[in-house]
Amino acid sequence: MAESMDFLKSMSIATSGLRAQAGRMRVISENIANADSTASTAGGDPYRRKVPTFTSALDRTLDAQVVSLGRIKTDTASSFRIKHEPGNPAADASGNVKYPNVNSLVEMTDMREAQRSYEANLNIISATRRMIQRTLDILKA
Amino acid sequence: MAITDLPMLSMLRTKMQWHQERQRVLAENVSNSDTPSFRPRDLVEPTFDKTGINGMHEISMVRTSANHIQAAGVSEAFGSNTGGYETRPAGNAVNIEDEMLKVASNQMDYAAAASLYSKSLDLIKTAIGKR
Repeated sequence: MAESMDFLKSMSIATSGLRAQAGRMRVISENIANADSTASTAGGDPYRRKVPTFTSALDRTLDAQVVSLGRIKTDTASSFRIKHEPGNPAADASGNVKYPNVNSLVEMTDMREAQRSYEANLNIISATRRMIQRTLDILKA
Repeated sequence: MAITDLPMLSMLRTKMQWHQERQRVLAENVSNSDTPSFRPRDLVEPTFDKTGINGMHEISMVRTSANHIQAAGVSEAFGSNTGGYETRPAGNAVNIEDEMLKVASNQMDYAAAASLYSKSLDLIKTAIGKR
C-alpha cells in the first residue's frame, strides 16, 4: 500500500528543507567571509553580495512539493560601500575604494532565519521518527 | 472478515492514516517556509458515520489555482484546505510556530490512536483467550 511509505515521505520532504536551508547558510557565510573583499585591480568592482532563492517543485517520486535551492543571484540593487582610502591598492584615481555591498547585520539576521527554519525541519524529522516508533510499538504489544 | 475490518480498528486505521498524511502535508509546509508565494495547507479532519466509515471519501483536494497539478496522494481519502492568514511580503503564508504546534498535536494524537489500536488488539486477544 502506498500509504505505508508516507512517514518516510515526510522525512524526505523535511530533508529537502534541511538541504535548502544549509545551502542558504553556505551562501550567507560566503557573503560574511567576503564582507571586505575589495577588487584586485585599481578602481575595479569588489565582491558582490549573493542572494539565495528557493523554489518549490513537485517531486514525482514523493508526490509532494519539495523545496530546493534555486538560482543563486547577485544583489545588484544595493550599492557598494565607498571609503576614501588613497593608500589601498584597489583605490581609484580619486582615492576611493569600493567595498562589497554586504551588510553583516542583514547577513546575521538571514542566518538566524535560516537556522530557525533548519531547526523546524529537524523538529519535523524527530516528530515523524517518534510516530514511526509508535507504529512499531503496536507490534510489540 | 479480516480483523482489521472491525469498525473499531478500521476507524483507528483511518485516523492513523489521516495523521500520517497530515504529517506529510505539514512537512511540506515547513520545508517550504521560505519559498516565495507558497501557501500552507492542512487536511480536513476525518468524520465518521454511525457504522464507523470515513465519510470523507468523495472529497477531493482543494486547488488554489487551476494551473496546479492535482496531487494524487492527498486527493483520494482526505480533503485539504489552504490556511495562512499572515502573508509575508514575498507571498509566503507559512507560520513556523503554527506548524510546530500542529506537528506536536498531530504526533500526540497519532500516539493516542496507536495505543488505542494496540489496546483494541489486546481486547480481541482477551476474547480469544490468549491472555
